[in-house]
Amino acid sequence: MKAPALEFHRPDTVQAALAILAEGDGAARVLAGGQSLVPMLNLRVAFAETLVDIGAIQELAAIEDAGNHVRLGASVSHARIEDGQTGDYFGGMLGHVAGNIAYRAIRNRGTIGGSLAHADPAADWPVAMIALGANVEIAGSNGSRKLPVDEFMVDVFTTALQEDEILTAICIPKASPKLRWSFQKMRKKAGAFGEAIAAAVHDPESGLCRVVAGSSAIGGPQRFTLLETALQDGDVDDDAIRDAVTRTIGSLGRYETQIHTVCLRRAIEEVRT
Amino acid sequence: MTTLSLTVNGRQVSTEIDPRLNLADFLRERLSLKGTHLGCEHGACGACTVLMDGMPIRSCITMAASCDGVEITTVEGYDDNKLMSRLRRAFREEHALQCGYCTPGMLATAYDIVSRLDRADENEIRAALAGCVCRCTGYRGIVRAIERCIAEKNA
Amino acid sequence: MTIKETGVGASILRREDARFLEGRGRFIGDIEIPGMSDVAFLRSPLAHARIASIDTPDDVADRVFTAADLSDVKLVAPASKVPRHRIVAAPPIASDRTRYVGEIVAACIAPTRAEAEDLVEMLAPDFEMLPVIASMDDALSEDGPRLYDDWDSNVSMETGFDSGIDEIIAKAPVKVTRVLDMARQAMVPLEGKGVLAYWSERDDQLVVYSSTQSPHQIRTALCQALELQQRQIRVIAPDVGGGFGYKAILHSEEVIVAALALKTGRPLRWLEDRFEHLTAGANAREHRYEMTAYADQRGRVLAIDAKLTTDGVAYSVWPHTNGFDAIQASGILTGPYDIGGYRVRTQTVVTNKPPLSPYRAVARPGACFAIECTMDAVARAVGRDPAEVRLDNLVKPEAMPYKAITGKEYDSGDYPACLRRAMEMVADAPQTPAPGRLLGTGYAVYTEHTAVSTSTISHIGIPMMPGFEQAAALMQPDGSLELRVGVQSHGQGMETTMAQIASQVLGIEPERVILRHGDTGLSPFSTGTYASRAVVMTGGAVAAACDKIAVKLREIAAHLMQCETANVRLEEGLLKGPSATMMIAEAAETWHFRPYELPEDVLRDGLEVTGGYRPDGDKGPFAYAAHAATVSVDPELGTVELLDYVAVDDCGTRVNPMIVDGQVLGGVVQGIGTGLFEESPFDDQGQPLATTFADYSLPTAAETPMIRLDHSETLSPYTRFGVKGVGEGGAIAPPAAVVNAINDALRPLGAELCAVPASPKRVLGAIFDAQDRAKADLETTK
Repeated sequence: MKAPALEFHRPDTVQAALAILAEGDGAARVLAGGQSLVPMLNLRVAFAETLVDIGAIQELAAIEDAGNHVRLGASVSHARIEDGQTGDYFGGMLGHVAGNIAYRAIRNRGTIGGSLAHADPAADWPVAMIALGANVEIAGSNGSRKLPVDEFMVDVFTTALQEDEILTAICIPKASPKLRWSFQKMRKKAGAFGEAIAAAVHDPESGLCRVVAGSSAIGGPQRFTLLETALQDGDVDDDAIRDAVTRTIGSLGRYETQIHTVCLRRAIEEVRT
Repeated sequence: MTTLSLTVNGRQVSTEIDPRLNLADFLRERLSLKGTHLGCEHGACGACTVLMDGMPIRSCITMAASCDGVEITTVEGYDDNKLMSRLRRAFREEHALQCGYCTPGMLATAYDIVSRLDRADENEIRAALAGCVCRCTGYRGIVRAIERCIAEKNA
Repeated sequence: MTIKETGVGASILRREDARFLEGRGRFIGDIEIPGMSDVAFLRSPLAHARIASIDTPDDVADRVFTAADLSDVKLVAPASKVPRHRIVAAPPIASDRTRYVGEIVAACIAPTRAEAEDLVEMLAPDFEMLPVIASMDDALSEDGPRLYDDWDSNVSMETGFDSGIDEIIAKAPVKVTRVLDMARQAMVPLEGKGVLAYWSERDDQLVVYSSTQSPHQIRTALCQALELQQRQIRVIAPDVGGGFGYKAILHSEEVIVAALALKTGRPLRWLEDRFEHLTAGANAREHRYEMTAYADQRGRVLAIDAKLTTDGVAYSVWPHTNGFDAIQASGILTGPYDIGGYRVRTQTVVTNKPPLSPYRAVARPGACFAIECTMDAVARAVGRDPAEVRLDNLVKPEAMPYKAITGKEYDSGDYPACLRRAMEMVADAPQTPAPGRLLGTGYAVYTEHTAVSTSTISHIGIPMMPGFEQAAALMQPDGSLELRVGVQSHGQGMETTMAQIASQVLGIEPERVILRHGDTGLSPFSTGTYASRAVVMTGGAVAAACDKIAVKLREIAAHLMQCETANVRLEEGLLKGPSATMMIAEAAETWHFRPYELPEDVLRDGLEVTGGYRPDGDKGPFAYAAHAATVSVDPELGTVELLDYVAVDDCGTRVNPMIVDGQVLGGVVQGIGTGLFEESPFDDQGQPLATTFADYSLPTAAETPMIRLDHSETLSPYTRFGVKGVGEGGAIAPPAAVVNAINDALRPLGAELCAVPASPKRVLGAIFDAQDRAKADLETTK
């Protein structure tokens, strides 16, 4: 269980990193905190001829209060978010989500940008960021672009990032103090990936109203628009949610349907009460 | 090969390394610091936990080459650090170790918990320990040792 | 310090802690031998395949070794006296056919492990897939494939016992049947297996460092494999990071590394990584119990009729074979109960899975799970409290020593008192569930044959014969003492407890005693550390050796004091004669450095002795315990939270109560793992599905409550100091206690779980079944 031979670069600017990626012609990979990538390299289930470690790029570690949104550099660690360094514009939701990812030692290295770019279907940040209506900033050799997180997450372990692009920042629109949120994560034990994750978010002031679930079983984060109306003004029961799960995801096993239904219902209930 | 300069246990180290090396293998094989143990090599068991700039990290899933300029503290590096001495005494008196394999990672984690949390009840300590597997002790002694050191800190 | 403070019964702090707390332990991976190379293995990606060819690039061929390179290595096959037990020993490297995913196909040698793994990736093996037997059901299917071409079925071993139960069955008013499944799991010592071997010219020996519990056993096996004399191999177990049975067997890698070290003349090392452990390493258990209990209206169990099927995998491990689980489980299935009738049939089948190894408490957690869940089912059937039904069925203290229907003799103890104490402790700490959660409490009681005796093993006939245990005691010139034992301490704290036993006998301070262990070059022969035997067997041998030393010291003192040896007493470390008192050190110093002060013929045979031990009548003492789990179940998600856990045990005299607590606590948490989390599933192609800790869940501090313990001490009449073993016991009862607690919680839903681990999926499955049954019932009544 040792990583294969590779080349290693640790540039200190985004431009330099992009240049190396371009040169790598698809065989170079960005290394952020490495908490998913390095285990996969050790297991030799992921490969990279070249690693481009973005840990030395100062600007990617910045947390910025940008007026109507908070801008998190891609290599801001989960632990910094857990410790409240983002400022609290989300009723404690960011700290809650961050603090329940894996373990502190992992959170000290693992980054929000790395989590989004890795696109593990069971990861927490994609669900939370879609729920909060966040956008990602992407830098490429041909300039930069911005995408909503739900468009950025394309599929299991697949994002909208091109081989020569880097995810540089996550911009989360500030919520009002009236924000109500719930983040339900059913897991086998502390620190484990969720078997089912559901987030419900409602901000009557901004109009943000989202219901999102994620897990390996459902192939990554999914918005449940069918339930978002119910979150605002309707009643929801298990049958309606089960129906929404089937209509959104397709047919799942009885166990999987049940745990996603329950997590979604609990999330919605918590926000509504 | 790639160049690496960092501080390990207070000592400046500058050397050429195979860039594929992870930090744990660098510490163990290149610096002969064998107190950092490998239990899973995928970041899940906690045995390899060391402090990087004072924060616990998994050395098995941290590339050594990513550690340029940082300060690493391994179980061999605490000298007469007061908190670590208290933790060691508490671990011994609470029978918080048996085979000793998880102990270096447990100590680094315990050091972080006691330093970071001024108040923590049993459940919070247990939650904070969730990333460290001990296959021998049943955790009771470890939890008690940490409880005790937090209490001593506030005394 | 008095003996009371340092001897048997004192909770002194551990001698071994300091080195581990400072990172100065010395584990197999820490040892560096100049010129050492690392080994990595090419392993079969398929569960059943013919090896058509292995293409090796020419420029690396001298660093790659296949079965053909080990053709002169002899197969080390275990033996069995069980009639018609078909045993197949694993070849160290597969030659033409692989029978499980992870089976070794080639070994690659390089200066570092990473480079050795690079070599593995350069090999291009060609496999032809064969039909896979992935489960016990596959193995038993009439028209399915056979694992061995010359076998008429996939059944490796069948055993049976019948006390004659037909009459009892005919009269019993209550009949309860359950099918209970215990999943396959991995053992997961936190340090993986490892081996390092090199030829030492000066010693004319192959030196083998191995992360093993049983150095002499491994030496015996390697001598057979390599056709060397025992004197030509020295096996050293350094600090070992947990064993739990995984390190009590011979591993193919030990044979390969030793053979290749001889062949290449190079020091070679292999360190198991976690992926190898979870996929290719031996795993444990996987039992199916079909239990029928016959009882009276009050739940007094009159007879048990059982069928046990175990997954006996592709090959038999050395020395235990693949039949050990079934033999042990069927021999203890009536548990701590006074049951008058017992019939059992066992069937061990072969499948395309990695080796099966005895894991902490071996088959006892399975047997306990089977009888204890059945006991709860009986209580439900007669509408009584399960704990009360147990009290009626437990062997009574006045019946001790009690001869069980299985032939085992339970030596001593008060089982009902033990259970009542657990019930009191549960009552003392009532739990409240969170809203929407269901609360339940479950019990499990067991009795465990510790320090398993020669007669027990000899009738099975496997090459692991406990026999006499030996210990050497070497009195040093300054009165300090060196003890040498052949067992290996890997967490049990023997460096402390054996010093306490010496302190008890000789009165010397534990700080003046050192224990050397786990090294065939230093220690007397021992079959090693397993079966909760060290404190009984090695403790007894250490005491016997110290007895001999005591006589010799008294003899020296008598000469110096000019009195009869009989008139010299050894008390609190002092040699006391009628008119003088002398320190042990003075006597030792005199014999070593001033022999001219003693008559010429005193102590010709010196102050270094070997003591031997075996319990009276070759009887292994029975330790016992009652456990109680209290859980909160989320009936919508199937998640289980353990709110409280109580364990009341009796292991006779506790040499070091602190260490006993540690053994019980650690065992309980492993048992909680078996009960709630740990599982090594395989798909229908024999592919392992839990290959990392992301899929293989271990219990951590967050999943376990502050376990509450209590003890009683019923001395064994057969052992030195009245001790009984305690290393394994904690792991026996939790799966049963946890599932009984869950079923207590699920009672309002009419659901019952009959399998471990009790994962959310299994718990919800039990609830779904109950819902479906209720729905079906409703439809029938319509």
